Amino acid sequence: MGAPLLEIENLRTYFYSPGKQAFVRAVDGVTLAIARGETLGVVGESGSGKSVTALSSMGLISAGPGVISGTIAFRGDEGERHLLQGLEDYVTLHERDGRIMEVSKDETGWQAHVERVMAPVRGKGIAMIFQNPRSALNPFVTVGHQITEAIRLHTPTKDPRDAKARALDWLERVKMDSPRLRFDNYPYGLSGGMCQRAMIAMALSSEPSLLIADEPTTGLDATIQSKIVGLLAELKSEYKIATMLISHDIRVISRLADNVAVMYGGTVVEYGPAPDVLAARFNPKHPYTAALLASIPSAQNVRDHGDLSAVEGEVPDAIDVPRGCRFYARCNRVTDDIRNTCARQEPELREVAPGHRVRCWLYGE
Amino acid sequence: MKHYVQVASEAGESSDRPVWKDADTLDLAYVGYGLLIVTLVLVSYVLGAFKWLPYDPEYIRVDLLNAPPGSAGHLLGTDFLGRDILSRLIVSIQAYFLPGLIAIVISLVLGTGLGTAAAYRGGKVEVLVTYFNNLVDSFPRLVLILLVIAAFKPDIYYIMVVVGVTGVPVCASLVAGKIRFLRQKNFIEAAHVLGLPTHVIVLKHILWHHCTPLLVIQATLGMGEAILIETSLSYLGFGVQEPTPSWGNMVQAGANYFFQGKFWPSTAPALAILSTILGFHLLGDGLNSILEGKRGT
Amino acid sequence: MKLAAIRPITLALSRELVLTALLLLGVSVVVFVILYLAPGDPFSVLLEGQTPSHEARAGIREALGVPKPWYAQYLSWLGGLLRGNFGTSMRTGLPVFGELVRVGFHTLYLTLGSMLVTLLIAVPIALRSSVRGATGLNWPLTMLAYLVSALPVFWLGYVAIYISIHQFGVFPLISRVSASAGPTWLYALLPICVLGIGNGTLSEIVRYLREEMSRVMVEDYIRTARAKGASVWRHAFKEGFLIPMTEIIAAKIPFILGGAVIVEQVFNWPGMGRMAWQAAQDRDFPVIMGIAMLAAAWVRVGSLLQRVVYVAVNPRASKEGRRVGRAE
Repeated sequence: MGAPLLEIENLRTYFYSPGKQAFVRAVDGVTLAIARGETLGVVGESGSGKSVTALSSMGLISAGPGVISGTIAFRGDEGERHLLQGLEDYVTLHERDGRIMEVSKDETGWQAHVERVMAPVRGKGIAMIFQNPRSALNPFVTVGHQITEAIRLHTPTKDPRDAKARALDWLERVKMDSPRLRFDNYPYGLSGGMCQRAMIAMALSSEPSLLIADEPTTGLDATIQSKIVGLLAELKSEYKIATMLISHDIRVISRLADNVAVMYGGTVVEYGPAPDVLAARFNPKHPYTAALLASIPSAQNVRDHGDLSAVEGEVPDAIDVPRGCRFYARCNRVTDDIRNTCARQEPELREVAPGHRVRCWLYGE
Repeated sequence: MKHYVQVASEAGESSDRPVWKDADTLDLAYVGYGLLIVTLVLVSYVLGAFKWLPYDPEYIRVDLLNAPPGSAGHLLGTDFLGRDILSRLIVSIQAYFLPGLIAIVISLVLGTGLGTAAAYRGGKVEVLVTYFNNLVDSFPRLVLILLVIAAFKPDIYYIMVVVGVTGVPVCASLVAGKIRFLRQKNFIEAAHVLGLPTHVIVLKHILWHHCTPLLVIQATLGMGEAILIETSLSYLGFGVQEPTPSWGNMVQAGANYFFQGKFWPSTAPALAILSTILGFHLLGDGLNSILEGKRGT
Repeated sequence: MKLAAIRPITLALSRELVLTALLLLGVSVVVFVILYLAPGDPFSVLLEGQTPSHEARAGIREALGVPKPWYAQYLSWLGGLLRGNFGTSMRTGLPVFGELVRVGFHTLYLTLGSMLVTLLIAVPIALRSSVRGATGLNWPLTMLAYLVSALPVFWLGYVAIYISIHQFGVFPLISRVSASAGPTWLYALLPICVLGIGNGTLSEIVRYLREEMSRVMVEDYIRTARAKGASVWRHAFKEGFLIPMTEIIAAKIPFILGGAVIVEQVFNWPGMGRMAWQAAQDRDFPVIMGIAMLAAAWVRVGSLLQRVVYVAVNPRASKEGRRVGRAE
């Protein structure tokens, strides 16, 4: 199968919070890989760092003085690129007691470097679709123009008329109703679902190697959500495009993903084939995944009038990261044997079955 | 018994921490400088009112014309008639202070009234207020003042009424914007549901609790405007008349000597204008940033 | 589709036109009322030093249309305005309309030129600080903008004149018209620059443009544009630059006209401001009325143009009907 298309290794993305004068560890050591044609589902609560992982891979982190480290290797049509290479030259860190005390960053140089590295990747190598499609499309430009722009930027089709024909073609492929009409519409005249179809058409029309879908169903009505998921499933079977699908909705993930990464507190706590990770009764698994699965209403629950369980507690503070397991404070499966270890030491991602890794002391030595 | 936290809280408003603890150093410096200028203006006003001055501002000394600063006991030098510049600068405040206050009071009272009416009643009232604002904004302030001068007489109180009225639209739209923002948070509706009378809601809960900072800021900026207008008019010869000093007529009187290379008699009042207007601007913007969370320039 | 899209735009634009007309009507009422309330006979200035006979007085009254009731006076005055008849100057006896056209052009050059100067300074600063964020240069530039906007424009004028006389040997106080021999643009440049820097709007323009640009730069659709590798500038142009630019320019026209009154005085520039100053001194009512009307008309037309740009650029404008532009 060869080297994966996208390989993220030990990604760390920290934001500075001026109010607390500390760094927020939004992503804290994420390792992921996506093979060609694979759909990787990334699931977790809001604040677990899934979106930040995606935005870091696209070089779209712009909020304040953020710091990014790790390696991201992208092997698109134009050979291998390391997307974070050279960024460390722009930052100097001073750390004390696990807390970064002082950071100096050459913001302008950093930003210019990111733009230089990412320019050939964005759109052409990796395309992205976002949540809240109505605000993600430019309200001042017609839908059609936004798609033809992507086509003319990234594909050999440069002639405006050809590009328009291709754009219309893509609008049809994403099942936009009356595409010729919608082509000349501004986003404000379209519903959320239509906007998301336009976004998908725009992302795919530049023929990227990888599609990142960041919460593609969030902000849409429930019925529209399932239609968009259906569309994504069809496009997946038709074009076999590698996809990183980010969602907090396990049902969306289970319908589309081949592999799943469960994120918690800025790290991956479980990683493996979708059927194994998401099967309700599959053991072993991370207590957080178990809790997450228990919180979805299934047909079974509804029939039995069973109780829905929420994941107890709150997402941990990303500034004072606990020294031990990040989930320790909320975990309901700590046994007396491992309690001390859980509180003091962070577990590794350990392989528990072929291709299935879990970050938990339950499955330790 | 359950306690509800007030919904309409904005950044920094609901906490007990004094606002200046979270403020930016630069904003504090702005406000500090602004307060220094305000104090100087107040002190000068008192000094001028009681004639506690180093020299008689209208006393002419033919032997000491256009003296540089620091010469012969004249701290800031003398003008083209040998009159003490420092004394004249201090006395000039008399020309601005009360008229400026009148202009501010007119802007704030009318502006608050119209703004509240527009945002509170909405509908036709709002259309009318918007029309009024646009109408007033159609006139360049100085042109309107010249019109009034032509019609009546170059009287500072007439002029300040015009300045006050032309300040109404800004104030009205700020107050209206604030009230609309509060309405979005539904807490005005909550107060109505609780049965509070309208005038209590408007005066106490809206204007007193939420608009005071905004009005203080507007007053500060308004004082700066009033001073600038007065100096401009004095410069044009419609304000305070010689020999009574004002910063504007002092700049103008020094102009001829300016071209001969005697900069000081004209520059001293210009610097007074500059530092005072700057003080009021910085005070307004610093307060805006600290109290309203809006970043100034 | 195209036809259906045009109709709401036409509708929105005609609404703006009606609004402008209504406001200009209001302006005429304000101007009339102020002068109607004026104490003394408007023509007493003209006859200063004479003791006119009763008949002469009545004759002049008749000529000026004074004995009619106020509304008749207003209507006949307004009717005159609409036919381009602004009356005759009490001082020179010339028709006001022709005078207004003559001085209007001079002031137009001055204000447009100075607006250009202001923008040439303000736009780079605003863009630089909104795109790059706070840099080392930001603070000094901000301070400079503050200082400049607090500077009394007449004193700035003196400094400029002094420098031009002593450094360049050019005496800029000769009016543009009479300086037919020399290069006229040289005489025009100085007042334009002085008004451009000293009209007091610089720091506000910088702030407004920067705030709007920074606001737009963090919009979701700009992130989309970056994600697809398109030009951020092109996507941000309409909302982040074009609309705020036209808004702030339209909002600042009155301030620049006000500044022009003073700069024209300093530089002896034969424009509206100087004429207004002269008219205020002479109580030359027809002239000051005409100037006030013309100035207000400029402000309204500027505002109308801003709305036209807004409606043309923003597909939502014809539906949402945003409140008439005031830059806050």
